[in-house]
Amino acid sequence: MDNADNPKPQRSRAAKWTRRGFIGAGVLTGGALLIGVGVRPGNPVGKLGPIVANGEGEQLINSWLKIDANNVATAIVPHCEMGQGAHSALAQMLADELDADWSMVRVMQAPADGNYIVTDTARLFVAPGTVDAPDWLEPTWNGLFTNIGRLADAMITGGSSSVRSTGQHTMRIAGAAARHMLVAAAAKSWGVPASEITTANSMLSHAASGKSAPYAEFAAAAAEQDMPQTPPLKQPKAYRLMGTDAPRLDIPSKVDGSASFGIDAVVPDQQLSYAAVRRVPVPGTRVTSMKAEQAEGMPGVLQILNMGDFIAVVADGYWQAQQALNLITAEYSEPESTIRTSDDQYARFTAALDEAGDDGGDKAASNGDAVEAFGSAATKVEVEYRAPYLAHSPLEPMNATVWVRDGKCDVWTSTQVPLMARTAAAKATGLSTDDVTIHHPLLGGGFGRRLETDYVTMAARIGAATGYPVKMIWSREEDTQKGLFRCADISRFKGGLDQNGKLVAYNNVFTQRHDPPGSFDCAFYDIPNKSIRVAEAELLLPFASLRSVDHGQQGFFIESFIDEAAGAAGKDPVEFRLGMLGQSPRHKAVLEKVAAMADWGNTPEGHGKGVALVESFGTIVAEVVEVDMTSGSPRLVTVWCAADPGFAVNPDGFRNQMEGGIVYGLTAALYGEISLKDGAVEQSNFHDYKMLRMNECPAIAVEIINGDHVTLGGAGEPGLPPVAPALANAIFAATGKRLREMPFAKQFA
Amino acid sequence: MHKYTLARPLVLTLALALAACGSDPEPPVEQIVVREPGAPVAAPSEAATSDGAAADPAAAGKAAFAACAACHSIEPGGASGVGPNLAGVVGRKAGTLAGFAYSDAMKGSGITWSEAELDAFIANPAAKVPGTSMAAGAVSDEAKRAAIIAYLTGITG
Amino acid sequence: MVSFTINGKPTTVEADSATPILWVIREKLGMTGTKFGCGIAQCGACTVHLDGQPIRSCSTPVSEAEGKAITTIEGIAGPDGELSRIQQAWISEQVPQCGYCQSGQIMAATALLRDNPRPTDEQIDAAMSGNICRCGTYVRIRRAIKVAAGIEPTSTEEAA
Repeated sequence: MDNADNPKPQRSRAAKWTRRGFIGAGVLTGGALLIGVGVRPGNPVGKLGPIVANGEGEQLINSWLKIDANNVATAIVPHCEMGQGAHSALAQMLADELDADWSMVRVMQAPADGNYIVTDTARLFVAPGTVDAPDWLEPTWNGLFTNIGRLADAMITGGSSSVRSTGQHTMRIAGAAARHMLVAAAAKSWGVPASEITTANSMLSHAASGKSAPYAEFAAAAAEQDMPQTPPLKQPKAYRLMGTDAPRLDIPSKVDGSASFGIDAVVPDQQLSYAAVRRVPVPGTRVTSMKAEQAEGMPGVLQILNMGDFIAVVADGYWQAQQALNLITAEYSEPESTIRTSDDQYARFTAALDEAGDDGGDKAASNGDAVEAFGSAATKVEVEYRAPYLAHSPLEPMNATVWVRDGKCDVWTSTQVPLMARTAAAKATGLSTDDVTIHHPLLGGGFGRRLETDYVTMAARIGAATGYPVKMIWSREEDTQKGLFRCADISRFKGGLDQNGKLVAYNNVFTQRHDPPGSFDCAFYDIPNKSIRVAEAELLLPFASLRSVDHGQQGFFIESFIDEAAGAAGKDPVEFRLGMLGQSPRHKAVLEKVAAMADWGNTPEGHGKGVALVESFGTIVAEVVEVDMTSGSPRLVTVWCAADPGFAVNPDGFRNQMEGGIVYGLTAALYGEISLKDGAVEQSNFHDYKMLRMNECPAIAVEIINGDHVTLGGAGEPGLPPVAPALANAIFAATGKRLREMPFAKQFA
Repeated sequence: MHKYTLARPLVLTLALALAACGSDPEPPVEQIVVREPGAPVAAPSEAATSDGAAADPAAAGKAAFAACAACHSIEPGGASGVGPNLAGVVGRKAGTLAGFAYSDAMKGSGITWSEAELDAFIANPAAKVPGTSMAAGAVSDEAKRAAIIAYLTGITG
Repeated sequence: MVSFTINGKPTTVEADSATPILWVIREKLGMTGTKFGCGIAQCGACTVHLDGQPIRSCSTPVSEAEGKAITTIEGIAGPDGELSRIQQAWISEQVPQCGYCQSGQIMAATALLRDNPRPTDEQIDAAMSGNICRCGTYVRIRRAIKVAAGIEPTSTEEAA
């Protein structure tokens, strides 16, 4: 995004890839290599059929679709299902292009197999903003990413990318190609021109001859047809399923207890043993001694393992293992880092920011001269915000079931990265990846925590030591204290307003930059002089992406600052923002929409309304929070959310994701804090790491603007970033108290 | 001029994936094998079960309290956990331990914890104090309740 | 040895009497619809009914179940397999995201509506606030309870 070259930056270059891959020549070139990656037309049937279409009467049409004798079409989806609705949304996209009857569509998790890497997601992850290629280079470029994807085990679910990458570039093409092949097969059999055959509701018809047949009848013959590499895709007005609230396919199993998550794994025909684990309390330290005599005498105990970086007890049952583990005492080595407390951690940030000053550190983005403009500004706003570490806390604690025997290893686990899990298990057991099989069912929440494979490695090491099947389950305490975390950070702003109250200087420095690129910026606002810098500082706790990643803290920093600037300018927060959106019509429309929904300008006595606007993962979201401060502490009343994802493939699913992102963000805003004492995490379970509950949950209203049918945005994460600043801004509106540190609730205790 | 650098995670992952080639698995530092799965339980383990401890009343109280210990500390002066510290609870007015966030129901219950009041509460917390945040912990076995209360009575805080 | 009925079926298991009901259900009986979330009765993922009362099975020893009736998520559909009104509302309102907490949510809601067929918002709060949904489906849970109870949702509770 270069404001100098492109005065109207409406979308990032990440989105540009999507556009390129979707329209015109992009599909001709980019799409060709996306279908059945590494599999020639006709070939996936022979190679992948035995793996993914081995049921009675099943016929694989291409890598991503099989049809059975009952005319059930099953989409084979390479992304995982962790509640974000990707399985259904991707099946919906394939089924629309296939002209399938939704009631006859099923979804299947693609196996952890190199043939199912998500090439386009790999592109989004590796080169979202910097690399551009001319069209003629596109096939090579895509091939490169296919290879990089294989090397990097790129079977990834993250970055709110499933629909906008794999959905747009793989599932739709797979559905359209399959439809073409079915038509070709029917045309040959019926002796009529393919162009006269129509498709609808999983049926082929030829009006002139009156012939018709279910897809199943021609499934086998279709698989023999040449697979078109560039099937024409539907225009939006021809969509039958996309854009509808097609009921999600995974929901029925989630209301009767039959849905199977990683923790529910069984090892066929084998007795399971269970492991409880305790990692070292401070990252990077080692167990120097272990006292386990009492634990050895506990009922059900099979083995006690000192693995150096963790202790494990294996027993007949998980509870027995945990009870025995509780009796083990251990001593640990001295940590390398001298960070012991949260204050120590913040002191590191402060030192790095002091050193960076007004112009130091890594330049992340800049235009104009922010230092000069600040110096000559009429009104100045100098503020500092901070955010603590956060734990992901999916309700299904980390777990993995492993069986290592005879040079083979099977792993059952909830993971967002099945191929990386395979590599992790191979490394931990000394086996080759070919000897490791990953079984990955539904996830009981991911939120980025399951992009990591630390728990798979631990289970594999336990399994290698025992040689029999073991299910390792982390206690909630372990899950809260010993994992990986959203980073803490401090962000400083120097803002300058001119005589007219226009924001003319924006100088910002912080210490943590992880992902996604550009998350530290608000490029849609027209600000003539901007300097955004990163002053790197040591983190004690290991980092993992947490839902919306850097946007989580950056949304709070940036949109709180913008609100403070509006205050300094003496302007209404919505008006102030609208004044900077002259070149960003979609953002403007979203902000105007939410202001109308929330009846902005009218607020009950004792209440406050606050607004925030963030673009993340390709989706523009504005939210207004109404908070009731009459009791002296915040009570959430209503959150209004307007979102422009380009096009919502499943509007109800999209709304569900906005609602979820808002609640996740409100938990972080009110309560979320992982603090340090003696180098270890203080919080342990849901009593001291609080979650928003039903009685605290506000009413939530979501409206969608389909602002661009071509460029799609994500759903899983973009609802989160605006809610914390909108709440802080609402509390300010009600009380005049400006919250510059998360979380908020304790500041009213 | 805006300039964004490459996303880091995959670059890192790639480095890790390459580093993984040729690295050795990390075996246990210590491995204590008590028995094999399916093998009969050794005699000493039997004594450690809570059933085995039932013969001694003090031990029975301690064993029965194990189910409560996940939430309640009984260390005199110790911090409260999910539930309040119970050292010296007998004779205490309900909902009054400093530093613990009681439900309004408990704060307003007017109970002073006698053995009889504790017995009624533990038998059915939600019935005795409707609105209590003690969602778990009902003990239907009268003898077990008596053992727990005897155990708590002995800890005077 | 502990004897109880589970979803109407008489069952005897050999287990240390202090073992929480959760682990007996999951590991000994192989019924995995009931989930482990926190182990200390804070999240509600393990909610089952013991003689009709919702309990946290992670913190209730199996000895408490002696001679009683346990009902789990697998046991609330009708005898012919027809889903309960609450389960159907969970589908019609498209409540679950990851789904991990929903067994516990449905068990809590089932007990609520049995005792109080037309609960107020405050009564829904009181009955449901012991159950955490990390995905944040609370607005849909509330709406589904109202749909199952035949109560008109308020404007912000309607699907837009």
